[in-house]
Amino acid sequence: MNFSYNWLQSFFKQKLPTPEKLAELLTMHFAEVEEVKKHSKDFILDIDVRPNRASDCFSHIGIAKEISAITGLNYRDPISIIKEDKNIKARNYISIEVQHKFTCSRYTARVVCDVKVGSSPKWLQERLEACGLRPINNIVDITNYAMLEIGQPLHAFDFEKIGSVNPSQRERSSLLHFIPLRGTHERIIVRFAKEGEQIITLDEQKFNLNEDILVIADSKKPIAIAGIKGGKGLEIDEKTKIVILESANFNPQTIRQSSKKLKLKTDASLRFEHGIDQNLTEIAINRAAYLIQEIAKGKTAKGLIDFYPVKILPKTIKLNLNYVRSLLGVKISDKEIKGILGRLGFKIKVKSEKLKAKTKNSKMLEAEIPTRRLDVSIQEDLIEEIGRIYGYEKIKPIFPATYLAPPKRNLDIFWEDVVKNIFKELRFSEVYNYSFFGDNEKKIFGYQVPFLREGTKVKMRTQSSLPKEQELIELENPLNQEQKYLRASLIPNLLKNIEKNLRSAPQIKIFEMGKVFANQVLQGRMQVKKRAQFSSPPKKEEKLLTGVMTGDAFYEAKGIIDLLLNKLGISNFFYDEYRTAAQEEQISWWHPKKAAEIKINGERIGFLGEISPRILEEFKIKTKVIYFDIFFEKLSKIASEEHEYRPISAYPAAVRDIAVLVPRDVRVEEILNKIEIAGGPLVRDTDLFDIYEGEELPEGKKNLAFHIIFQSEEKTLSSKEIDELQNKIIAVLEQESEWQVRK
Amino acid sequence: MEEIDIKSLKIQLQKEIENSGDLKELNDIFNRYLGKKGELTLILRSLKDLPEKERRETGKSANQAKQEIEKAIDEKRQQLQTTNHKLQTDWFDITAPGEKPVVGHLHPLTQSKRKVEEIFQTMGFSVVEGPEMENEWYNFDALNIPKDHPARDLWDTFYLGNGLLLRTHTSPSQVRFMEKNNPPLRIIVPGTCYRHEATDASHESQLYQVEGLMVDKEVSAANFKAILGEFFRKFFNKNVKFRIRPDFFPFTEPSFDISISCIVCNGKGCSVCKEGGWLEVAGAGMVHPNVFKNAGLNPKDWQGWAFGIGLERLTMLKYKINDIRLFRSGDLRFLQQF
Repeated sequence: MNFSYNWLQSFFKQKLPTPEKLAELLTMHFAEVEEVKKHSKDFILDIDVRPNRASDCFSHIGIAKEISAITGLNYRDPISIIKEDKNIKARNYISIEVQHKFTCSRYTARVVCDVKVGSSPKWLQERLEACGLRPINNIVDITNYAMLEIGQPLHAFDFEKIGSVNPSQRERSSLLHFIPLRGTHERIIVRFAKEGEQIITLDEQKFNLNEDILVIADSKKPIAIAGIKGGKGLEIDEKTKIVILESANFNPQTIRQSSKKLKLKTDASLRFEHGIDQNLTEIAINRAAYLIQEIAKGKTAKGLIDFYPVKILPKTIKLNLNYVRSLLGVKISDKEIKGILGRLGFKIKVKSEKLKAKTKNSKMLEAEIPTRRLDVSIQEDLIEEIGRIYGYEKIKPIFPATYLAPPKRNLDIFWEDVVKNIFKELRFSEVYNYSFFGDNEKKIFGYQVPFLREGTKVKMRTQSSLPKEQELIELENPLNQEQKYLRASLIPNLLKNIEKNLRSAPQIKIFEMGKVFANQVLQGRMQVKKRAQFSSPPKKEEKLLTGVMTGDAFYEAKGIIDLLLNKLGISNFFYDEYRTAAQEEQISWWHPKKAAEIKINGERIGFLGEISPRILEEFKIKTKVIYFDIFFEKLSKIASEEHEYRPISAYPAAVRDIAVLVPRDVRVEEILNKIEIAGGPLVRDTDLFDIYEGEELPEGKKNLAFHIIFQSEEKTLSSKEIDELQNKIIAVLEQESEWQVRK
Repeated sequence: MEEIDIKSLKIQLQKEIENSGDLKELNDIFNRYLGKKGELTLILRSLKDLPEKERRETGKSANQAKQEIEKAIDEKRQQLQTTNHKLQTDWFDITAPGEKPVVGHLHPLTQSKRKVEEIFQTMGFSVVEGPEMENEWYNFDALNIPKDHPARDLWDTFYLGNGLLLRTHTSPSQVRFMEKNNPPLRIIVPGTCYRHEATDASHESQLYQVEGLMVDKEVSAANFKAILGEFFRKFFNKNVKFRIRPDFFPFTEPSFDISISCIVCNGKGCSVCKEGGWLEVAGAGMVHPNVFKNAGLNPKDWQGWAFGIGLERLTMLKYKINDIRLFRSGDLRFLQQF
């Protein structure tokens, strides 16, 4: 918000520090001064007043009082001496009716007659312009001026344009304004608008009103949107003679609600939304009336019309001076604390005997808080005041003296670090993507539940289950259409990364660890029951570890998962063929034959597979992509740091090769199992080193070749012993009718 | 006289053989002394003119010298032909570029996060996490940010319906943690936050924040200054200065704005700090009594401070990254620099 340096200076007899110096002081003790700009003969300070201080510091007086507290310079109130004309009585012109007290805690009005509308004096225009307001005419400018000075929005309207006053009366009353006619008395009503009412504002905007919007009305229709903007038709123009000044205090929530509904923010609504001291209405209206008297030669009617059912009085806060020192961590003296509070305008009350007795030696005081300081309500608020005026820069760093307990180890984070390091060693690069999807991803991926989430059976959706779009969580207010949903998988964005990077990198290995989000799909009867309870299904977030790599790399990826799990101390895992249901094939993300579930102790902890060509085409990726997708939270619960060293045998290992011709659909695992069971503990390892399918082989067969490593930990195996084992393995393999060991 | 000639000739020759650098040079030496018109050959040839006794003596020493020299040349030839010598003479350009090994890369935010965690762990802080989908209670109400209050406008929020939203800061974890753990406590909470804000080079809708919280019987702003100062110095590996200015957050009272001396210009003023010499990096303050209350603690018993730091901002400063959008661009040309 912009403030005029010259205007601020007007509250002080002594000279203020230079604009730059003042900006520095305010920044360090009050709020950041974002810019100091020269503006003709003035300087503009752009101060980032924080919301808690809006109530008193969206005003020059508020800032001036801050300057006074910081610098110790004496602040002087501006003049507002009103000469009321005894012959004109305000109550003969208007009366106030507030329909709902909570919407308007105070409504103050004054009548100023015989005004001469014209342009404002230059000094006033300059101050308004410095603060970014356009001068209109002296009356309107004065209401704005009072608002910028005091922080209380004011509104002025032409009495003779109100409701029942017809044009013929207008002529007369302008001549006879000293003796208001009976019956010209107008009622001003503060009420909620009625459905269907409309208003055209001063700037020709038309608004449809409703029962949530507070208005100022005459006996017939709304004449202003309360606390936001005046209506057209009652504006001050050069013919205006009788001015009604309004200075009211509206409920912040009510104004905020109206402002949001109408999508209309003004200097007035901004101030009301933050709440203002009720006692300001009178100060502001008197200041404005005084200025009209001086500038527009108006005569102020006798009497302040004031609806103020509950008068706000200053409150008192008890402050423990030792607590001040303890919370700030400084040895600030009692005297200094009292001095700061005094400069801020907080009255320090003499301790009552009762309080003295009660508090004994503890250092307590009572401070009376001016009503304009809506932000100060507890002890800690006062400590902030003391701290900032004293200067946070004067607080010396002190390390806490308390016993330092060792921090608790967070296993999730520990394993996260371990896993990320493993992928780094495996030459993967880590990416961070946005947590959002658009319709495009939703369409391409079709939202296959089993692919993404644990615990859901591989089952086609039935009529009774949720429609697909409900699986994704949709944002109520997305930034754009591409970020309409929360991501339910890390894969789509990783594929986008691949597409983007393939232009500059021939081979890509990337991974991400991050949250995915979904509505939980409830099955069958549970679903019906739950849905009756909640208007939408429960939402769930889960941390996934997902990697993608380009190329025909299924087995490389499988090796990577093996290594990952081994490094996490997990050995009892296996890969289960993941069969795609026939109906799913059209929409599945993965290659129907190259998809595996990763299982630990029979529980699924992730997937491994090749991305379907259909998906790759959509992403314009011209190479194969292998992915793995792991439920990280499950993984980190199973992971263990225990790792047992296996002694290196002192005796030599012997390697024998074996080749088996088997039908094509025989799985490698079956053969490995047979070799290892037949060979027993002396088979240290079995390596598959070749898979061959070719024309020379019989139709429908493949040849698998293995190295079998024999080794004992107790002795050197003789060739006779090895031959016996080898023959035993061959015999077992050949028990299968269609298997043939090639010697 | 001949004796001396032969002796000095032999010494000179041996020196020349020793100094010869390659086979060609060695050949030249051989020709010069032992060739048809070589010096030693000529001496041997002139023997026939000498008297018998003298001829025999000189002849003997000349022949001996010849043999010795031949042997020396042979040895030298062999030496010159060894691999070792070959290595010395082979031509090789070490200025040609090295081949780039393929290595993996951790995201710069991961690296910063680890550094932050490490520094705070050495000061006794545990690391905890919280959900990214939050409800209004933890994200706002419990943090003393009332409904329908303009203070809520400080956080532009993504709403998910049913009172759920994407957390706008990691501060909800303060209440979540204090509900389940009694003080004294020291925690940091790293995590992703969301702001309903259009993105540009310095604004992001998705951010990585680190929350810090310390609560004990007597915890002060002075303690906060000590711990945060230590953190900044360790994180940037530099003697960075930091300053506290007044600010406003509903969940802290007093509230602080934290700036550090510009790490690019050391506070002299440059384009990064917009000539101010200071960079705003965090918000902080003393825990508001209402936050203690909302977490089920008695505010009379406890004092504490909390802060929130943007990890992107710290990382950008550390590595002089000029566009915040790079972090979530997935661009390997960026990521593989870390």
